[in-house]
Amino acid sequence: MSKEPKGVTREGWRLLFATLKLQRRALIMGACVGLAWTLGKVAVPQLTKLAIDRGIEKNGSLLLWTMLILAAATIAGFFAGWRRYIAFRESRLTETMLRERIFAQIQGLHVGYHDKAQTGQLMSRSSSDLQQVQGFVVNIPIFVSQITMVIGVVVILFFSDPILAAVSLFPLPFINISARSFSHKIHPAVMAVQQEQAQLANIVEESVSGIRVIKGFGAEAVQQGKLNIEADDIRRESMRAARIRSRFLPAIDLLPSLGLVAVLGLGGHRVIDGHMTLGGLVAFNTYLTMLIWPMRNIGMTVAFGQRAASALLRVNEILSVVPAIADAVEPKKLPETGLAQPVGAVNFNNVSFGYDVGHLDLTVLNGLSLAIQPGESVAIVGATGSGKSTITRLLLRFYDPQSGNITLDGVDLRDLTLSDLRRAVGVVFEDTLLFNDTVSANVAFAKPGIEQEVIVRAAKLAGAHDFIMQLPQQYDTVLGERGFSLSGGQRQRIAIARAIVADSRVLVLDDATSAVDPTKEHEIRDALATVMRGRTTLVIAHRPATIELADRAVLLDNGVIAAVGTHQELLATNEKYREVLAAWSSPQVVE
Amino acid sequence: MWSGGGGRGGGRSGIDEDQKLDRSQTRVVLIRSIKMAGEFRRTAALAMVYVIITVLCTLAGPVLVRHGIDAGIKGKDARALDVTVIAYLVVVAIAYVIGRLQYVALNSAGEGFLRMLRMRVFGQMQRQSMAFFDREKAGVLVARMTADVESMSELVQYGLMQFLSSFLLLFFAFFLLMSMSWQLTLISLIVFPFLIAASVKFQRDSNRAYLEVREKVGANLSALQEGITGVRVIQAYAREDEQIRRFKESNRELFRSHLYSVKVSTWYFGLIEFAGIASSALIVGLGGYLVHRGTVSLGTVVAFVLLLASLFDPVQQLSQLYNTLQSAAAALHKLFGIIDAQPDVAESTSPTPLPDAGDVVVDNITFAYAGATKPALDNVSVKLSAGTRLALVGPTGAGKSTLAKLMARLYDPQTGSVSFGGVNLRDASMDDLRRRIVVIPQEGFLFDGTVRDNLLIAKPDATEAELLAALDRLGLRERFEALPEGLSTEVRERGSRLSAGERQLVALSRAALVDPAVLVLDEATSNLDPGTEMLIEAALERLMVGRSVIVVAHRLSTVQRADKIAVVADARISEIGTHDELIALNGHYALLAATWNKTQPH
Repeated sequence: MSKEPKGVTREGWRLLFATLKLQRRALIMGACVGLAWTLGKVAVPQLTKLAIDRGIEKNGSLLLWTMLILAAATIAGFFAGWRRYIAFRESRLTETMLRERIFAQIQGLHVGYHDKAQTGQLMSRSSSDLQQVQGFVVNIPIFVSQITMVIGVVVILFFSDPILAAVSLFPLPFINISARSFSHKIHPAVMAVQQEQAQLANIVEESVSGIRVIKGFGAEAVQQGKLNIEADDIRRESMRAARIRSRFLPAIDLLPSLGLVAVLGLGGHRVIDGHMTLGGLVAFNTYLTMLIWPMRNIGMTVAFGQRAASALLRVNEILSVVPAIADAVEPKKLPETGLAQPVGAVNFNNVSFGYDVGHLDLTVLNGLSLAIQPGESVAIVGATGSGKSTITRLLLRFYDPQSGNITLDGVDLRDLTLSDLRRAVGVVFEDTLLFNDTVSANVAFAKPGIEQEVIVRAAKLAGAHDFIMQLPQQYDTVLGERGFSLSGGQRQRIAIARAIVADSRVLVLDDATSAVDPTKEHEIRDALATVMRGRTTLVIAHRPATIELADRAVLLDNGVIAAVGTHQELLATNEKYREVLAAWSSPQVVE
Repeated sequence: MWSGGGGRGGGRSGIDEDQKLDRSQTRVVLIRSIKMAGEFRRTAALAMVYVIITVLCTLAGPVLVRHGIDAGIKGKDARALDVTVIAYLVVVAIAYVIGRLQYVALNSAGEGFLRMLRMRVFGQMQRQSMAFFDREKAGVLVARMTADVESMSELVQYGLMQFLSSFLLLFFAFFLLMSMSWQLTLISLIVFPFLIAASVKFQRDSNRAYLEVREKVGANLSALQEGITGVRVIQAYAREDEQIRRFKESNRELFRSHLYSVKVSTWYFGLIEFAGIASSALIVGLGGYLVHRGTVSLGTVVAFVLLLASLFDPVQQLSQLYNTLQSAAAALHKLFGIIDAQPDVAESTSPTPLPDAGDVVVDNITFAYAGATKPALDNVSVKLSAGTRLALVGPTGAGKSTLAKLMARLYDPQTGSVSFGGVNLRDASMDDLRRRIVVIPQEGFLFDGTVRDNLLIAKPDATEAELLAALDRLGLRERFEALPEGLSTEVRERGSRLSAGERQLVALSRAALVDPAVLVLDEATSNLDPGTEMLIEAALERLMVGRSVIVVAHRLSTVQRADKIAVVADARISEIGTHDELIALNGHYALLAATWNKTQPH
């Protein structure tokens, strides 16, 4: 925070104000409500003073003053509640709106960005960083009313007795200074404790998920040793934080008492001398007490604001990224399906591509050309790292090729809108991601709201229907991280059903059957054969049984196509092809 | 006292109704934790004394003001006033010094207690058998050690102190007020029943609202995470708009739950503000009347006004902290549950030493997983002669992995026995056992730390020479030394820097370091890149030389290299023999081999 350069912090504050501009009205309203509270609150000691001086000491009307104080109490109470309501509503709104912006941005950012970004980082941008912002915004109305209260009270005190005011107010700025300093010092200490707690959590987590290894080798003592170190670290860091608290908090608590002592001593003599009334003394005392909380809070709020500003800077790092893959400015349309002309022609023309990983030259495709006819199925075979999956990613326009181009039905992919392209290309990935939703919704992912019969038909085709019917709520069973977990093979079959529902003109099966039990693969083979019929299909697979489904196989080597033919032809004629397949199907080793 | 967070009373801590402990449970938990805190009791007692002194100092302030007004100002006695002022200064100084000591003492007792709790709970967790880890969800166990312990740290940092001082403050203040004027005490007590009732209602409502917020936060976070981890699938299916719409829905629900929680609590803050001022209005009004009647002094009225102001916070805090205390008790209760769990695979108290080599004999064992209706193994007997290889095959869930695990005593059978070299595994020490029989799980699991740390997990006291010798035996030394920093390479985040194949190499090397007589292998089903694959196979062949091997096999090639094959089906061994014998039998195995032949060309 304090270590960040001035300019950066200023940029953060600018962002903060720009964000809050949207809620200008409500925040001004909050400030006004806060001012009303200040009025009620500041009136109380004055009224108490008058009650003592005129009511008690001079035998005046006690009832009048009591009623007036009660009226002030009502005003202060009513507006305190209202202020709180506005403060929380607006701060939560800020947080909510920012989170939606972040999410929308994340959804639209190109895959190249996501390759480098860490999930945890993105998560904390939209949770803990936004909490920092919320923690500041919620303080704005109270901050405004406290500032005015401090000003009002100081003015009143100086008017009623300047010397006494000067003496008794002397300790108060130190409260503010201490509170700010405390906030700055405690923040890193608390962070350090959290850091150590995270490390301990990490050890517990690995000990639980690696329990088989630990039990297998009797390594309990090793893990216990690691944990003890972390437990010690937590205590050490916590004690460091405790010592910071012990240094500041009692001082902050007691500084105002010095003002009270001054009022009693100095003020007492002035009352004895007749320069001041007793009620005035009590009022002085009460006013001083009233300043304690605002003085602390103002110091803290400034620190909160700085934290919020730097949090917003981090948030803005995400919001300001311009997606590298975007819709064409004047998009073209794909030829319609269902006309006399068959659709689904895919052409890779001299495509070169490498992933952007710093200075390393990681060229994956090296002038690759491949023409796939409408309705044709092509298996892509190659060793690990030969770029098979890259072809899928380029076809989906997760990345753009560095040179050459790819066309679908004669249209350059870059001339299509992303949604048109991706509706035309369906894909089943090796890692199947299921969403936290029902089976039906997961299958109908590409077309939400489609009829149930279509979903069931797709599930049957993908060989998923039978196990779905055995789930607790069949098609209404909730899957995903917070729901029912399926085996790898079952997940892949759901993904295949998903692609069937999508009914796209081009289908890509990217190692889509890798997790299916070999003894069950033949069931899925039939399903795949049905789906592939009459549809342009790219199959990336290692298993000969799956490769055989395709009309043609191409061997990918060194970023270009090394050989083309049917599976049987290549097996018979191409040494490299045999090698690659043999490597994949070589006896899998244990462990 | 002041929490130093963002407001009064520290963070919120919610507690589910069904998790709340009843009175007697709470008492048991509290008494037990006091007993456990043994070594910190002195520090805690000292802290208690400090708290009492600070509370007395807090109360002394208004009393001194009263004295100053009545004896000094009203009595026109300047000396009495000066003495009072000096006394007040002394009280402030004492309060400051003791206040500092009190923080340090309370925290050191509390943090010490938490440290001990962390170590003991973890130690006990690690002592449990595999059955325990099957039963308990990983997330729950991690939560015990993190969230549950941390839920107490707020209490330790300032909660306990606030609770104590609020309680003592109210307690002493009552007597003090009574001694000054019982009439005014009664007047000030008028608002307290309302205040307490309001605080209780507020706590209940806001606790409920908080739990709802917590649930919505969870849902929102998982929607967020899904959107991030699933971004490739979402984009591939052009679902961004739908996903954004759904996220908005969950986000707005979260917003509404926040708003609801403010709505149910906002009146309370207004009321507190009102009640604070109103009570001093009553004191001034009715107290003034009593001054007129000569019943009380003006100084007393002023002292009451000042004292009441310092009593409002404690009342609010007490009801808030009561909640924190309850959730801490609930957390402790759960932690004690782990501390009390008896490991069901216990170590023999007078262990028989195991011979260096011998047959593994499984004699008529029956085993069922906890909560299962059918046994996973039903009267199974099998013998693994020293230096031979046994492959277990059969359908998923038939019990072959279970059999392998029982042979390494990761579980104990309900009846029957497993012995090594004639010694029942139950009679052997765990240390001895783990040196003779080593299980290599499917996935090469890595711990945080360097590659070397990960290898030494198997044998923490191994020397560098022993380690290198073990790697040499497998022909893997060069492979590991080729890593960016050799054996000192940090594996980072569960081995994300190492490939799946390299992780398996680590697992094999661990076993080589232990140099066991028996290897238990669970064959991997996933695909690896061909290069590493061959390296692994070569290393594994070397590792298996001269050892007995039990392998849970998924591939024909592995099975064919075994001396004996056992088909595990329906919790029993249905066929056993060599490959050729079983093919000739034309039973389950023959069928399986035929399927394998079709899908895996050679």
